[in-house]
Amino acid sequence: MSLNIYGTQLDSRLLIGSALYPSPEVMKQAILASESQVVTLSLKRQNPNEQSGQQIWDYLQEIVADNFAYLLPNTAGCKTAKEAVTLAQMSREIFKTDWIKLEVIGDDYNLQPDPIELLHAAEQLINNGFKVLPYCTDDLVLCQRLYDLGCEVIMPWASPIGTGKGLMNPYNLETIRLRLPDATLILDAGIGKPSDACLAMEMGYDGVLLNSAIALADQPALMAKAFSQALQAGAQAYAAGVMPQRQTAHPSTPTLDTPFWHQPNYQ
Amino acid sequence: MKIHINGTAYPLASKQSITLTNALTLHFAQPQKSTFAVALNGDFVGKGDYEHTIITAGDSIDVLQPIQGG
Repeated sequence: MSLNIYGTQLDSRLLIGSALYPSPEVMKQAILASESQVVTLSLKRQNPNEQSGQQIWDYLQEIVADNFAYLLPNTAGCKTAKEAVTLAQMSREIFKTDWIKLEVIGDDYNLQPDPIELLHAAEQLINNGFKVLPYCTDDLVLCQRLYDLGCEVIMPWASPIGTGKGLMNPYNLETIRLRLPDATLILDAGIGKPSDACLAMEMGYDGVLLNSAIALADQPALMAKAFSQALQAGAQAYAAGVMPQRQTAHPSTPTLDTPFWHQPNYQ
Repeated sequence: MKIHINGTAYPLASKQSITLTNALTLHFAQPQKSTFAVALNGDFVGKGDYEHTIITAGDSIDVLQPIQGG
């Protein structure tokens, strides 16, 4: 079993963020423990008097090289298609990758993606040769439109970024899986616990992208390992085929020759 | 007259124009030692175009560098 991102086959189904860790060393330990092969990162305004930015970038490159991982730059902070396209172009020059995690935020309160701007940006970026991984809401029609544009990977949210609330709308997410059987579906944002990630995999999702749930754990590296195992368990369960739910109880122990069995009215 | 680089204003003589390469030296002394990309007035400018890109008063330049992200 592997995760397919625009033709690149990856053994790990976990995509991991590089932000919010208590220290660069803890970040490294967590990324290595996660066994993830995709690490997300971003761009910010450079402060010429601050050397730490370059040091972090050098460190990240080291980690990615050690882990044979891929970089996935994002367009965090963008609110219009134009901003996202410009940031994607800047990212491509720096990170030497056509992959872009496309974020276009429409609401400051819950950081909900703007579906209109997202579609505009996705179209322009695809026409510009990018391989777009759009972060979007769990709206089936939006996901379908993104797929029709040429987004082979779609990343609906589980819940708002950083909330850890898990899968808010399992029905929506299952429907997207059902209706887009050939898309690579990665659940992105809002994952809080390994069981959330496992549930997504049991639904047939191809992968999970998360950051806060690992970075904000008391022991990020241990949590990263837990997520890795949860994803494997969920993917194996989906492949094995989950039993259908039933309305009534069915005894698992054979009832024939049950000891001490008696008719209710037997005296 | 001024130009802005990452929100900081730098004076530019009236009617003076400079290349983007020159403008970046206002921002940092040794750009070759940093990893960065540039946008001019919201549009991406590739590294190969710095020398041919003319900056005039009122222009706004963004210089971005890698950072951790989710």
